[in-house]
Amino acid sequence: MLYRENGQFKTSYQADQQIFPIAQDRLGVLLLIAFAFVGVPFLVDEYMFRAILIPFLILSLASLGVNLLVGYCGQITLGAGAFMAVGAYAGYNFLIRVPDMPVLGAILLGGVSAAAVGIVFGVPSLRVRGLYLAVATLAAQFFWDWAFLRIKWFTNDSSSGSVSVANLDVFGVEISSPLSKYLFCLTVLVVLSLAAKNLVRATIGRQWMAIRDMDVAAAVIGIRPMYAKLTAFAVSSFYVGVAGALWGFVHLGSWEPAAFSVDRSFQLLFMVIIGGLGSIMGSFFGAAFIVILPIFLNQILPVFGAIFGVEISTATVSHFEIMIFGSLIVFFLIVEPHGLARLWSTGKEKLRLWPFPH
Amino acid sequence: MSGRKIGDVILDLNNISLSFGGVKALQNISFNVMEHEVRAIIGPNGAGKSSMLNVINGVYHPQEGEIIFRGEHRRDMDTHQAAEQGIARTFQNIALFKGMSVLDNIMTGRNLRMKSNLFMQALWIGPARREELEHRQKVEEIIDFLEIQHIRKTPVGRLPYGLQKRVDLARALAMEPEVLLLDEPMAGMNVEEKQDMCRFILDVNDQFGTTIVLIEHDMGVVMDISDRVVVLDYGKKIGDGVPDEVRANPEVISAYLGASH
Repeated sequence: MLYRENGQFKTSYQADQQIFPIAQDRLGVLLLIAFAFVGVPFLVDEYMFRAILIPFLILSLASLGVNLLVGYCGQITLGAGAFMAVGAYAGYNFLIRVPDMPVLGAILLGGVSAAAVGIVFGVPSLRVRGLYLAVATLAAQFFWDWAFLRIKWFTNDSSSGSVSVANLDVFGVEISSPLSKYLFCLTVLVVLSLAAKNLVRATIGRQWMAIRDMDVAAAVIGIRPMYAKLTAFAVSSFYVGVAGALWGFVHLGSWEPAAFSVDRSFQLLFMVIIGGLGSIMGSFFGAAFIVILPIFLNQILPVFGAIFGVEISTATVSHFEIMIFGSLIVFFLIVEPHGLARLWSTGKEKLRLWPFPH
Repeated sequence: MSGRKIGDVILDLNNISLSFGGVKALQNISFNVMEHEVRAIIGPNGAGKSSMLNVINGVYHPQEGEIIFRGEHRRDMDTHQAAEQGIARTFQNIALFKGMSVLDNIMTGRNLRMKSNLFMQALWIGPARREELEHRQKVEEIIDFLEIQHIRKTPVGRLPYGLQKRVDLARALAMEPEVLLLDEPMAGMNVEEKQDMCRFILDVNDQFGTTIVLIEHDMGVVMDISDRVVVLDYGKKIGDGVPDEVRANPEVISAYLGASH
């Protein structure tokens, strides 16, 4: 009975066009953000930050970027890993080559570079679509894998292509402890998520979705397919690029091109599909599913075995982890092909009427 | 049809020919459309009616001929240009954006009038925010006009066919077009839905002064609501004139109207 919009009358279009028009949603999201900033730091240890929460936040940001392109604009991509790499290496180069470059500036410029590269590799989308476009974007992956390994200038002449950054500080605050890294990533994620929410409810978001749903009709009402598709590539690549820079700078500290291999591209695409295409919330669900679930299984299986008096060896745990993880992916895709986000919204829909059947 | 006054020629098509490989979809077709009139295009299946509309709003580019729109001569139209100049269109097989709500679908019709840049939209400030509200106002007027208030937040994929057709019309109207191309607006509808749609079309024409070019198979409807009719058959024009003239034209009768009239 709590989740209900009864009595919440909108008297202006402004009130009706809010990001979360239902008061309970607004409150819930605010509480969640407040808890993430204030509550979480007291509850978790360093390992949790380093192994789970920071990767979760950064990959959420990346999958959000991929979702803007694949879920909202309908342009499939298998090059997200490459755009993360471009963000990380471009950010690195800005940091070491430009005197007095602030870290945040380098990260954002990494994103901007990824956006520029995204536009270039988005050009094939003007002619090809669907699986063919996916294959065309793979070109980005292979090209940048090669470039960061072989073109020494990008990696400041390091022999293996591995680079590192140290002494991160943002506005005078040193980002070195797991807690400060977590808070920094969380801040970036919250700001960029709000921006994404704004974009998809504004005219550009509608143009992307129009192109996704029916491109001829979109062209007939005056949407330029080129503008819509390339802005989607640019914005998406910016998000993915910033995530890549954070992954390198904040999560890894030192990294090599293999950190952004084609595996990463697949992983991001799976997050978006499992989480829910065309849903900001779905990006977080997808990232949580892929980042957190394996670790959770890894921790819970021995406990579970102990209940039944069975000793489970580490090797068995990791086998079971993969098996259960795989079957859960299949299960969710059968139960709800539109992803976890759809399950979420169906649940909310039901809750609005509960306890009445309709 | 009170305040309506037929004006000058707004759209003039001269010797349009369009072919796809060996298939001659349109052969040397000329006709014109006057401002504020309701102009019907009729013809049997495959006569080239939809191709004609596609030529007018730039989806197809004719190999020969000339399109004169508001005094401007051009060889062919480009979809974006056509939209900018005030030509809107609905589709025979509904071409709505299935994943979006009714409101968002109609709002997309306003896209050409929204000028704020990406950053303002991302931050939801200044012009971006103002524009959304202004255009929402306008879209709500159209929603009222077409009596679809109750479904404005519904995803269009869930709507019945008749309502989807109406949303399609709403999206075209959101462009505030000078010329509205309707491709079989009443196909597949029952009698009540057809009556509603006729009323809306006549109201649009009457209240907004919008010029209407429509394709329709229901002869009763065509003869009732249109000012002039052009008849196509196998890509050729076989008749043109006011409904009574067309009805009496023996070539048209043999090609199309047949025994039913």
